[in-house]
Amino acid sequence: MTGWHPGVAAGGLLAVCAALCACSPGGGGAGDGFRPVDPERAVLWDRQINESAALFRELAAEFNAGRAGVPVEVQHAGSYADIFRKVSASIQAGVLPAMAVSYESMTTDYAAAGAAVPLDPLLNAPETGISPEELADYYPAMLESNRYAEHGGGYYSFPLCKSLLVLFYNTDLVARAGFAGPPATWDAFLEQCRAVRRLTGKPAHAVNVDCSTVDGLIFSMGGEVCRNGETLYDSPEALAVFELYETLVREELAYVITAGSFDDNAALVKGEVAFTLRQSSARNDLVTILGDRRNLLGIAPIPQKDPARPATVVYGPNVTLFPVGEGQTAAAWAFVKWFTRPDISARWSAGTGYLPVRRSALEEPTLKRLWEEWPPGKVPYDCLAFAKSEPNVAGWQEVRDIVGRALLDVLTGTKTAADAIKQMKPQADAALRRAAGNR
Amino acid sequence: MRRAALHIGLTAAALVTAWPFLWMVSTAFKGPLEAASPSLGLWPGAWHWGNVAETFRAAPFGRYLFNSFVVSGAVCLLVTFTSLCAGYAFARLRFPGRNWLFAATLCCMMVPFEAVFIPNFVLVSKFGWYDTHAALIVPWCANAFSLFLMRQAFLSLPGEYYDAARVDGCGHFRFLFLVGLPLVRPSVVTVALFAFLGSYNALLWPLLVTADDSMRVAQVGLTFFVTDAGIRVNLLMCASAIVILPTVVLYFVAQRQFVESALGAGIKA
Repeated sequence: MTGWHPGVAAGGLLAVCAALCACSPGGGGAGDGFRPVDPERAVLWDRQINESAALFRELAAEFNAGRAGVPVEVQHAGSYADIFRKVSASIQAGVLPAMAVSYESMTTDYAAAGAAVPLDPLLNAPETGISPEELADYYPAMLESNRYAEHGGGYYSFPLCKSLLVLFYNTDLVARAGFAGPPATWDAFLEQCRAVRRLTGKPAHAVNVDCSTVDGLIFSMGGEVCRNGETLYDSPEALAVFELYETLVREELAYVITAGSFDDNAALVKGEVAFTLRQSSARNDLVTILGDRRNLLGIAPIPQKDPARPATVVYGPNVTLFPVGEGQTAAAWAFVKWFTRPDISARWSAGTGYLPVRRSALEEPTLKRLWEEWPPGKVPYDCLAFAKSEPNVAGWQEVRDIVGRALLDVLTGTKTAADAIKQMKPQADAALRRAAGNR
Repeated sequence: MRRAALHIGLTAAALVTAWPFLWMVSTAFKGPLEAASPSLGLWPGAWHWGNVAETFRAAPFGRYLFNSFVVSGAVCLLVTFTSLCAGYAFARLRFPGRNWLFAATLCCMMVPFEAVFIPNFVLVSKFGWYDTHAALIVPWCANAFSLFLMRQAFLSLPGEYYDAARVDGCGHFRFLFLVGLPLVRPSVVTVALFAFLGSYNALLWPLLVTADDSMRVAQVGLTFFVTDAGIRVNLLMCASAIVILPTVVLYFVAQRQFVESALGAGIKA
């Protein structure tokens, strides 16, 4: 048998090196211009599926039909985590869609890479912009989370699919426990949980460990979660929230569901628990599961410390535009602006359970019909008036993990509420400092 | 007595192994409420045959399955071919730096997919392969594990075969495909099976490099039942049962060769 000639091996190695060099990141990377994934269409990478995806595509088709220029196409790109991976890789490749749905933490990273279109010039342009009167129609909490202090306070994303934290309850169980309606205060919530426990012998509340829920509860106690780059997780309001969870666990009124699952929703519709705290857009899934027994589902604002000064948390993805050419950006911005129109916003909301981003959408017949058919469906819309957004500073994703771990410590009895907070606050602040230092 | 105990033990083990599969199939026909409850019960309260039609309405699974077969079939053929050639070369050819090159190849096995998907995506985009079959096939047409398996298989063949074939005028390629290939068939089947399953089960990469429904594969279809507010468990299980079926059939067809190869190579099947 003959071996390979050394020259052949060397030549092969050279070819591999040449190929690797040719393909290494160079031109076209972050900051020096991007190419569109589809030059003919302004692509929107989205995560909607089934009926929501069909409605999104239907609306996009309607938008395209009424306008000349680059058409918009909605493409399913997986979960939000998948979309983040895909956009991050695409930034490196220098090829991007015209826009993608994104949470604030994702937009912060895109903007830092020079891959997010600043929206202020588009918002303020006489022809394509949104007038100050119109802008005042948007819910401030939804708009404000799209302004990024680390990037000059400008808009780098625009609200799209918003939800807020509500209390879902099983109407039958609450009634059998002897109550006429859902709890309005946290004290009443505890009282109802105890009554349900006495009735069923089981926990009354299934807990989904989630930082946004904690933040919503802190807002409802009258607190804040972040100010001037520092978290406020050592505040009396934050302590009250963690002590509430401590009480729920100590008295066996609540249990933790498997992370990432929706076992709480299943338990709620089966009447195994009376309460869950979830985003309002869960409404459609819960109603689908219940079918013709949807009257078992009740929706209420989250309980408050002081019902006269209510608050809850609003969250959900926005849309970020990418600099892939003037025509594509113009089409993308026109679509975003069109999509937040009151009538379109109302149709989107009625079909998906997401909330409209403008106040005037609440006057639309589409929504009024929906509320007449099923009055509990109106509750999330009523909560819009007092909803607050979470911070959109760099490092917040890490803070979310820290808060989630601290809550789990309390729920599993590993730490007391006071100890968990004592440990959580410096960790969260350090995460924010680290992120700020890396910018 | 001992035999009966053995049979009872084996039956219990088989049941434990099969239960998740049976649960998946039965849940595929449950109603949304029953499927959403965390129960291990197998028999649906009411059979919802319409779930199958609803699953196919949620995503074009026919097209996705076709794409999966095209992509997995191509990857399977290419991996088998490259592993055969490279495995043979590493086992039987003498060339400078052979051991270093082989060690470097084995090192590839230690690099997780998450570490290379961005460079791979950049490469694929620069070649203009985004949203094409090439993006789904070419990056996976060779892999270190299959190469290692084939090298071990060729090393196990007695050297006398090579010498005898050479006396009869056989070159490397003729020996490889006419003599060597039939002798290492169990390993080839294993490599082909692993390559097919690896490609068929891939989710993240196909999701990253495709956009159009005409290019998407079956596993991507499974993401169509998970929203940010809930999971449609019955439809997801129905889709999973549909997607898993071809791989189960494939495994049963290739089972004997696979076990033979596993025993021969000393790996756990």
